[in-house]
Amino acid sequence: MTKIICVIPAWNEAKNITKVIGDVKPLVNEVVVIDDCSQDDTAALAKAAGATVLRHPINRGQGASLQTGNDYALKNGADIIIHFDADDQFLAAEIKEMVAPIINGQADIVFGSRFLGKNSNFPFAKKYLIMPLAKIFTRLFLGIKLSDPQNGFRALSHQAAEAIRIDNREMAHASEIQAKAFEQKFRISEVPITVIYHDFGQKLSGGFKVAKDLLIHRIIK
Amino acid sequence: MLQQIIALVIIFFFIGRLLDQKRRQEINSNEFSLWLLFWLVATVAIIFIRQIDRLVNYFGFSGAGINFLIYLAVLALFYLVLRLRLNLAKMDKNLTEVARQIALNNKK
Repeated sequence: MTKIICVIPAWNEAKNITKVIGDVKPLVNEVVVIDDCSQDDTAALAKAAGATVLRHPINRGQGASLQTGNDYALKNGADIIIHFDADDQFLAAEIKEMVAPIINGQADIVFGSRFLGKNSNFPFAKKYLIMPLAKIFTRLFLGIKLSDPQNGFRALSHQAAEAIRIDNREMAHASEIQAKAFEQKFRISEVPITVIYHDFGQKLSGGFKVAKDLLIHRIIK
Repeated sequence: MLQQIIALVIIFFFIGRLLDQKRRQEINSNEFSLWLLFWLVATVAIIFIRQIDRLVNYFGFSGAGINFLIYLAVLALFYLVLRLRLNLAKMDKNLTEVARQIALNNKK
């Protein structure tokens, strides 16, 4: 039987964490919440909802939390690791579609995409300004040829998670994982997913920071 | 000429340090390549200072030697700031690893 562990990085997500864990838990073998030094009750609520909780003693960012989750999942025998956001933007039901290419032996890593048919309620500027710019940047500088350059919903086989170590501790991890998947010649698949935006999310300034972080990590890796 | 020799001695000192750091594995290949390129460009600039003088004159800037030393000083500061930045990035990475190990060892 395939063991699936879902890694959910969370920072001050008391408002959503219980619902998110409740949605995800029936679809996977274990839910691991990485509480990134939240100031609210995220950790206690996650524990009460039945998740395994790992707490960073200081805030380290989403990329760092995902790597902590990967380390835990690999150590505990996960065959497939799901990365899922804590802000209730993703649909847990789509986990089945995300893991299918790995279970069927067609892919080592699966990226969710907001641009392959399913409807997401995109903010206008995000859809027509930030995402096209991000796509050009990641294609030119990192050689990523995917439809969605900044998506947090992904599934990794044990082998892929072991080989791809996330160095960018903040938001640049999404492009970093994609770039490393291409560099290491993993079989990559994209699956259409739905994102429900409750707020704007990462702004253009955040996009510039991601670009800067990616370039710095290229130098010091 | 004397200024050029002094500048080259300084640059060779830094290249020597760089090679030493690489030998002791204190810096990785990417970092080593970046700084080696930086110092080699500086060496070429010093050796061809007269041609550079002519070039900057052509573009309407003063090409006096003292100005060039100031440019070198700015480059040295640039180097130090970048080096500081790289050290901070490494410390940050280590800090993340410590936080990670604490989290993994204290599963709830």
